[in-house]
Amino acid sequence: MTETAVLRMTGISKSFPGIRALSAVDFDVEAGEVHAVVGENGAGKSTLMKVLAGVYQPDDGTIELDGVAVRLSDPIEARRRGIGMVYQELNLVPDLTVAENILLGSTPSRFGLVDRRALREQARAVLDELDARIHTDDLVGSLTVSQQQIVEIAKVYAARPRIVVLDEPTSSLSEHETQSLFRIIGRMTEAGLAVIYISHRLREVLDISQRVTVLRDGRLVDTRPTSGITAAEMIRLMVGRDLTEVFPKREVEIGEVALSVTGLSRAGEFDDISLTVRSGEILGLAGLVGAGRTEVARAIFGLDNRDAGLIEIDGTVVNIRGPRDAVRAGIAYVPEDRKRDGIVPQLSIKDNISLAVLDRVSAAGWIRPNAERTLARQKADELTVTPPAITPRVDTLSGGNQQKVVFAKWLAAGPRVLILDEPTRGVDVGAKADIHTIIGELAARGTAIVLISSELPEVLAVSDRILVLHDGRISAELPRGASEQEVMHAATGEFVS
Amino acid sequence: MQQSVFARQGTRLALPISIVLILLVGALLSDKFLTLRNLTNVLINMSIVGIIVVGMTFVFVTRGLADLSVPATVAVGGLLVLGLQSSLGTLGAAVVGVLAAAIAGAVNGWLVGYAGLNPVITTLASGTIVLGIAQVFVGGVIVYGDDPQAQDFLTGRVFGVVPVIVLIFIAVVAMGHLLLSRTVLGRWSYAVGSNPFATQASAVPVRRVRAIVFLLTGTLAGFSGVLLGVTLQTARPGIGMGYEFDAITAVVVGGVSLLGGSGTVLRAIGGLLFVQLLTNIMVLQGVPTEPQGIVKGVLIAGAVAIDVALRRRGGRE
Repeated sequence: MTETAVLRMTGISKSFPGIRALSAVDFDVEAGEVHAVVGENGAGKSTLMKVLAGVYQPDDGTIELDGVAVRLSDPIEARRRGIGMVYQELNLVPDLTVAENILLGSTPSRFGLVDRRALREQARAVLDELDARIHTDDLVGSLTVSQQQIVEIAKVYAARPRIVVLDEPTSSLSEHETQSLFRIIGRMTEAGLAVIYISHRLREVLDISQRVTVLRDGRLVDTRPTSGITAAEMIRLMVGRDLTEVFPKREVEIGEVALSVTGLSRAGEFDDISLTVRSGEILGLAGLVGAGRTEVARAIFGLDNRDAGLIEIDGTVVNIRGPRDAVRAGIAYVPEDRKRDGIVPQLSIKDNISLAVLDRVSAAGWIRPNAERTLARQKADELTVTPPAITPRVDTLSGGNQQKVVFAKWLAAGPRVLILDEPTRGVDVGAKADIHTIIGELAARGTAIVLISSELPEVLAVSDRILVLHDGRISAELPRGASEQEVMHAATGEFVS
Repeated sequence: MQQSVFARQGTRLALPISIVLILLVGALLSDKFLTLRNLTNVLINMSIVGIIVVGMTFVFVTRGLADLSVPATVAVGGLLVLGLQSSLGTLGAAVVGVLAAAIAGAVNGWLVGYAGLNPVITTLASGTIVLGIAQVFVGGVIVYGDDPQAQDFLTGRVFGVVPVIVLIFIAVVAMGHLLLSRTVLGRWSYAVGSNPFATQASAVPVRRVRAIVFLLTGTLAGFSGVLLGVTLQTARPGIGMGYEFDAITAVVVGGVSLLGGSGTVLRAIGGLLFVQLLTNIMVLQGVPTEPQGIVKGVLIAGAVAIDVALRRRGGRE
């Protein structure tokens, strides 16, 4: 765009198996500028930044720093070339002091011993430059989250970068803390740094940035001066993703309330969540990454403790202290993180499917092989798991088929309430269609379904009703037929339409 | 895919092939090796530690690392069966010995499974404590038995060929094998060792499973100690020393992964057989004890290295 661009990325493309994450994206940032990047979940923001950080290698496209083409072969190379990354998850050592953390990679030493005075002075200088009021000798573990974030920024800043990327820096900050973060960002741009600011909070983007780039489906929608755009306009540019392979919803008779949650809270994650799902109903749970959707699901299923809240199944209060209680009460959960919480890699397809209901295919603790095989084969067939054999190890299957196995496990349990957390993430188009079909069939059989998905078109097409979460609270309840725009307004906390 | 199937078959057959090879090597080196008398001796030597191997396999499969309290629980079994023999009779004393070891195993299980402590440190500590109690109990000296009939029974041979103690060992192996391969507890053990998070999310009582395997190992080690005490008619607090190492060697050589989720009782016993045959050949060849230890150490390190290499190759991404 201009001659003074510190960073210029041109035609960046990146594909993963089955997904095109970035398609010919152009992006640049100038010295002294804050350039915001916005987009829905999965729009490609993180992938673009990981390319910049040297974590991913682009399939195509060029990266220029100060007009010179470079290859960022790994994160160390990217850091050496002056790219500083502040991720959402902080990379600090809680048992070390602020000064030790800030200078972790370049601790000053004399005769091989840490030079504590130089350490303190250098850290102080960095903090002063950023106008940050934090003691250098405090243990990082004793600081508040926002102070830790400032330490993280100071750590990145101490390496003297040219470009600083802030990924969702305010997601855990209060209004006041956000202001002090903005002051620090101001100091960095005054010093001539280029700042890339990624946020779901559109109001902050309007406040802090000079330009904003909107991504959608891995493509560049537009880059504009922030002065000429409104939050509503940004949302309009963000939504409208291609509707890919969503099956038409089956019409199902909706029955009595099956799951009722009242006042569910867990400190720091979500607050006062109340919801009901009826038999045969599909309740969509929408919201941006970090809004607390998965956390709510995990608490209902007993994977995480809850601080408060009442859970009822068919009008009866159930005391859920762990997944065993939840399953006994008739709740099943297809988790977001399939590798961690979904499959048991070294077991076969059959063993995975029967795992939650071994008591039903065993007598006095002995597994009845025929009963188990019949059950597993029946559920695997219902979900058209490929290969049709049930003896291969589950980790030899594709992602889509692994997901079907997780589904089959919970189908075998015959749940009253099924919570689906990103059920089609990372699965191919065919498996996705199969999964949508099975969701429809389950609803038709009277199962109450909670669907969490970051793909808005999916939530909109499949759900009977949509709850939107924003910052751990329910920000809207929308009927079937709501528009993407309405959901995004509620999800970003911008009720301006 | 083709290649990995081949590789998997290769690793599956490696142990049986090794056992056949070592039998050939032994036969070539010594004409005393392939005699009924010698091989029966190998089996008798295997029996005591073999019972512990069964428990240790469960510990490994659940990714419980290892039970290092085995020397103590073996000693508890051996000391109690001989010490209480005169007052309770051999059978009664045996029951008390096994129960005491089981209690130690249950404490291990509770600490590892429910309190979430590191198994290696926990069993090391509990083993030291239990051994201390045992030493106080017997006053730190040797306990002698006075029931030669029981001794004769265990070492006596059925049909003049197979010693009773070997039959007991085979029975324990059979039960352990069935428990791990056919029961709900066995399946849960594999699942816990392979991915505890997904297993917990599948409504499996992960903590209970972790606790049970240590209870099982304690009980079996206690039983093993009882057999050892009765066979020798003498026991001292250090009687179980080295059994934990021999059991771990057997399990590792049997290809049961330290990282959990795979392996069988029969393969662990195969590993034990291999080590015992190798030791037997070295003894017949007059190799001194020290180099024997070196060979065993190298065997463990090699088996673990192969396990890690296979995992790395088998793992995706």
